[in-house]
Amino acid sequence: MNLEHGSKIIEARGIQRYYQRGSETVKAVDGVDLDIYAGEMVSILGPSGSGKTTLIHMLSCLDAPTAGSLTIMGRTVNGLGEDELTRIRRGTLGFVFQKFYLLPTLNVAENVELPLLFYRRPVRREETLAVLGQVGLEDRARHMPNELSGGQMQRVAIARALIIRPKVLIADEPTGNLDTENGQAIFGLFRKLVCEQDLSVLVTTHNLAFGYLADRIISLSDGKIIREEAAPRA
Amino acid sequence: MRFVSLAFKNLWRRPVRSVLTVTGVALAVAVAVSLAGFNLGYQKAIERSIDRLGFQVMIMAKGCPYEAATMMLKGGTGLLYLPADTYETVRSDPEIQSITPIFIGVAERETSSIRADAGSAFAVFAGVDAKSFLEMKPWLQFETGPGFDGGRWFREDSEDEIVMGYEAATYEQRKVGDTFLATIYPHGKPDPVLKEFKITGILRRTGTQDDGTVFVPIRTAQSAFNRPDQLTILGVKLRAFSGAKLQEFESRWIRLPEVQVVSLEQVKSTLVMLIGTAQVMIAAVAVIAVVVAVIGVVNTILMSVYERTGEIGIMKALGAFRGDVFQLIWLETLAVCIVGAIAGGALALAGTHLTEMAIKALINLGIQGSIVTISWGVLLGAFAGAMVVGFFAGLYPAWRAASMLPIDAIREGIG
Repeated sequence: MNLEHGSKIIEARGIQRYYQRGSETVKAVDGVDLDIYAGEMVSILGPSGSGKTTLIHMLSCLDAPTAGSLTIMGRTVNGLGEDELTRIRRGTLGFVFQKFYLLPTLNVAENVELPLLFYRRPVRREETLAVLGQVGLEDRARHMPNELSGGQMQRVAIARALIIRPKVLIADEPTGNLDTENGQAIFGLFRKLVCEQDLSVLVTTHNLAFGYLADRIISLSDGKIIREEAAPRA
Repeated sequence: MRFVSLAFKNLWRRPVRSVLTVTGVALAVAVAVSLAGFNLGYQKAIERSIDRLGFQVMIMAKGCPYEAATMMLKGGTGLLYLPADTYETVRSDPEIQSITPIFIGVAERETSSIRADAGSAFAVFAGVDAKSFLEMKPWLQFETGPGFDGGRWFREDSEDEIVMGYEAATYEQRKVGDTFLATIYPHGKPDPVLKEFKITGILRRTGTQDDGTVFVPIRTAQSAFNRPDQLTILGVKLRAFSGAKLQEFESRWIRLPEVQVVSLEQVKSTLVMLIGTAQVMIAAVAVIAVVVAVIGVVNTILMSVYERTGEIGIMKALGAFRGDVFQLIWLETLAVCIVGAIAGGALALAGTHLTEMAIKALINLGIQGSIVTISWGVLLGAFAGAMVVGFFAGLYPAWRAASMLPIDAIREGIG
């Protein structure tokens, strides 16, 4: 399904994620309202323990809110089973994590093609190379992960997320394991994908400089949104 | 890329561990195949040995028929004898197609014993009437080639000519024309007699007890062992062999006071039944080996699942259903079992000779020829067994992996 630029993809209303730690109730996310639109890059900023990761996990149907409602592409996902949530994620959401989780025995191209195995989609190597081209690694297709730098591995992970042509790319601390230069390059790549492919990118980071490369910045503290602002554009 | 190739690649991530696990399965399968091959081969060897006695019925002195039959197969001391005139009495029976008298005696070898173990010190002498004996065993032929050419049966009136079975001759490194010394203990006499024989022929290998036997004219054997009026058995082939005919034959001759009539079919089925008991024990050993291997496989795959917790979470995040994860882990288990089964089957095949040597060295089974038969049926059975084992062994690790919630798996993997 093609989305019109600016149409709503994710809608969260009053979502909460509480859990018990002994006798204490931890409010990891506490009543967040948030919309993600097609073709925008949103960064969620906040210090460690502010609830960024918990929020992004809920928005990506990996974790279930304890209260509130969440709608993805117009479908309410509260109370759905694991396989139903997988169906919603498939084709809509692409994931990049702080750890790259590339399979060490597969080469770069095979790692990128891995999701197609689960989608039962035939592998077309030219498509793989095209996606690798988007992340600047078309010449590394036959390399093994241990032959790549950290920045390159994260690019492969991004290509792996892009191969299924998601509507939203969700990246949880994608630069956490990278140096500043590589981190900047990854955010630059996100920016390029948003501009050229009308992809939405939802990214968490604790690096303010990177965060301000997004269209919209959401600042989180103690599980609540404390500020939401549009990024200043030069 | 397919699930199967991904499963193999996943296993190759820890090559040492995977190879060790596969080796465990391979050894278990090799043990199971070898034992099954032994069960089958030993049963066949007994059947072959009995069939190759050449006769259907034995007339022998009263005693335990199975012990007597075993001694016939294996050789040994403690033989019972029947009066020699029984031969003349019984041969008139119209139902008899052919009959051969056999005298068995055990002597000590006096010559170039290559090995000094007790088993090698004795030579089984079979006194036979060559003409009627060959009617029973028309397949007996003389070995040819350098040192073997010119073989012939002894003259019936000769007192020093012998024909040797293939193994008896090669064991003593004897050729046609050589001499063979044996110490014989004549019945009822205090002193042994050292006797020199001349080898007139060496028989081609038959895979039966005949290979280890020294054949002499029956009168020579009776005389040498000082039992001129005695026989060990009469081998009989009936014109029409059936249960009813045998019963009739038996009832006619059971009246003789010192004689019993034993059907080799009965002996065969009794021995096979006895083997069946041993087979159950052998099967139990094989089952234990397989169970140990299965535990190893489950442990390895479970470890692998726990190590890849985060990765499994990512796969689910990337769109893998629970069934996909289940399938992948289950295939990995199956792959270990299949590769192990193939390697184990090959190992068992390659080690057949070694297994046979080991079994023969450990237990004196008294059977000549091959006792381990690894058939296609045994191999296919082992392969199918490994598949079934892999099928069940993979269920738990696969279920554990499939049950992981993506968020928990990712958190654990990061932690």
